[in-house]
Amino acid sequence: MGGLIDLLPLEYAESVVVIGSAIIGLCAGVLGALAVLRQRSLVGDALSHAALPGVAVAFLVTGARDAGSLLVGAAIAGLLAALAMVAVERTSRLRPDAAIGVVLSSFFSLGIVLLTFIANGDDADQAGLDTYLFGQAAGLLERDLTIMAALCVASIAVVALGFRALKTALFDGSFGAAAGLPVRALDVGMTLLLVVAVVVGVRAVGAILMVALLIAPGVAARQFAGRLALMLPLAGLLGAGIGVAGGLLANAAEVPTGPVIVLVGFAVALAAILFAPGRGVLWRARALAHARRVRRREALLVDLERAMHAGPPPSEAELVLATGRGRGELRRGLRELRRDGLLEHGERLVLTEAGAAAAHALLERRELWSAWIAHGHRLGITDAREPDPSDLTRTLTPAELERLRELSAS
Amino acid sequence: MTTTPPPALEVRRLTVSYGTRPVLWDVDATFPAGALSAVVGPNGAGKSTLLRAALGLLPADSGQSFVEGRPARAAMDRVAYVPQRDEVDWDFPITVREVVEMGRYRSTGWLRRVPRADRAIVDESLERVGMAGMGSRQIGALSGGQRQRVFLARALAQQAPVLVMDEPFAGVDARTEASVLELLRELRGQGHSIIVVHHDVVTVRRAFDWALLLNVRTVACGPVAQALSDERLAQAYGGVVTEPAWAA
Repeated sequence: MGGLIDLLPLEYAESVVVIGSAIIGLCAGVLGALAVLRQRSLVGDALSHAALPGVAVAFLVTGARDAGSLLVGAAIAGLLAALAMVAVERTSRLRPDAAIGVVLSSFFSLGIVLLTFIANGDDADQAGLDTYLFGQAAGLLERDLTIMAALCVASIAVVALGFRALKTALFDGSFGAAAGLPVRALDVGMTLLLVVAVVVGVRAVGAILMVALLIAPGVAARQFAGRLALMLPLAGLLGAGIGVAGGLLANAAEVPTGPVIVLVGFAVALAAILFAPGRGVLWRARALAHARRVRRREALLVDLERAMHAGPPPSEAELVLATGRGRGELRRGLRELRRDGLLEHGERLVLTEAGAAAAHALLERRELWSAWIAHGHRLGITDAREPDPSDLTRTLTPAELERLRELSAS
Repeated sequence: MTTTPPPALEVRRLTVSYGTRPVLWDVDATFPAGALSAVVGPNGAGKSTLLRAALGLLPADSGQSFVEGRPARAAMDRVAYVPQRDEVDWDFPITVREVVEMGRYRSTGWLRRVPRADRAIVDESLERVGMAGMGSRQIGALSGGQRQRVFLARALAQQAPVLVMDEPFAGVDARTEASVLELLRELRGQGHSIIVVHHDVVTVRRAFDWALLLNVRTVACGPVAQALSDERLAQAYGGVVTEPAWAA
């Protein structure tokens, strides 16, 4: 660790914060992502809140503010909380969310009572125990880093080793169980890993807000990664980045680390939810709007083509009356068609040659789709192709298209 | 000299309860080897529960189950189980190919990479369900029918002689249903035993060999014509089942 600290172009104390936050974020990112996929994000919240009474009891028992023993206390309390959640869920008729809520609030209350009790005593060594509430990365020591790094490496190694088993249990537990996987044990294992992540991080991030560092990297990584083998490393990297950025900012601004890390994590997750290519909210909204615009434009083209055959070319007002379209919408559509050279300029609405050709092609595609709906099953296609309603020629072979036309003609 | 092979799956006096309410009561059932069998019954009859309990995925109050004559727990390597589609999170970050590869994990070992020979089996399974070339797709982008095909491909990749499927035809389009059914018949022709929970009595009567008619207890179990006679069906469904005229 010493060598690594010397390598960074930072002051000693800052280097410790940076390395510590990176380890915490890496660990929380990877292990928290598993909880996110298990749809058990809030278990991490309960476990980190439960760390508080653990720390307090460990202090009361040992009488010293030694990070090692305090974290052992946090780990034991986390395990008890995990057990309590399972017990409440299995024996009572409470749903998991209620079980989590009950356990979280009782452990946390116990922690607050104990902390107050300790603070009222005259033990000079107790000062700073309340940093476990909101976290303080500045309090990390070089020797803490070694333990944290070891725990982090060990737990990530476990995930890497059991990757296929974890993937199967996460995706399809029933199948996994039938294929001989000890699904229950894996479930317990993943909860234990979550306890490890909490123990590694709770000192610097704090019991109250630790959950954000468990969830945010996983949520963000999912937006970009389509495979678990990419999502987990990405969550680890994002977690480390969030940890380092938050730790440095908090140090510079002299505020508790936890809230700053959470704000950074929130920003990263929000950006991913909004902007991620393919999955992002804005991305999907744009795709949807585009599809809607194309459909409107096609409908207008068809109406104009029909009007051409029905009599003299209509005016704008006549088309509004005949098709029930809004005037504004119609104007926009017409402007677009004119821009693309499909519609003549002028009072009366006349399709250009290109416009008529486009309308015919469109009608043909629509007829083909109608034929597919009516007769598609008779083509005897056995593979898993899903035909594209907007253009069947992209999914069917020429021979199949020919046969479909025959079927619909007969 | 030929001997009759032991049944693919046999259940004896199986009772399963959720809480204090029994959902399966003293069920006896046999599914012969090499047959296409269906489990049929009204909603809440315990069809899925029967399969899950028989395979040891749910705790039973009492009773035994046997796969190819051996206690089911010891013979699970002979079974490929296809759970209901809506049991899994289809937004999970995983590709079609990865799901099918899961079918190989048991025989290759959970900790190893999937060897080349096994990857060929995965390709072949995808091909058989008509999904060759779709291996790199995200499962979230698939239609209901394609998802069912992926599940079936995973089961094929297990290369187990007994195939147990829970409601594979619920919510899939007619085209998928027809091609999956065709594939199941092909598998039967190759000596597989197939047991399917199915909600559509008409299809079962037309295409299956054997049926268990279930309504908490066994109503009938035998060749389709006998097990699903009008009288039996009326008994299981409380007299409310009517077959549409076009199915006759």
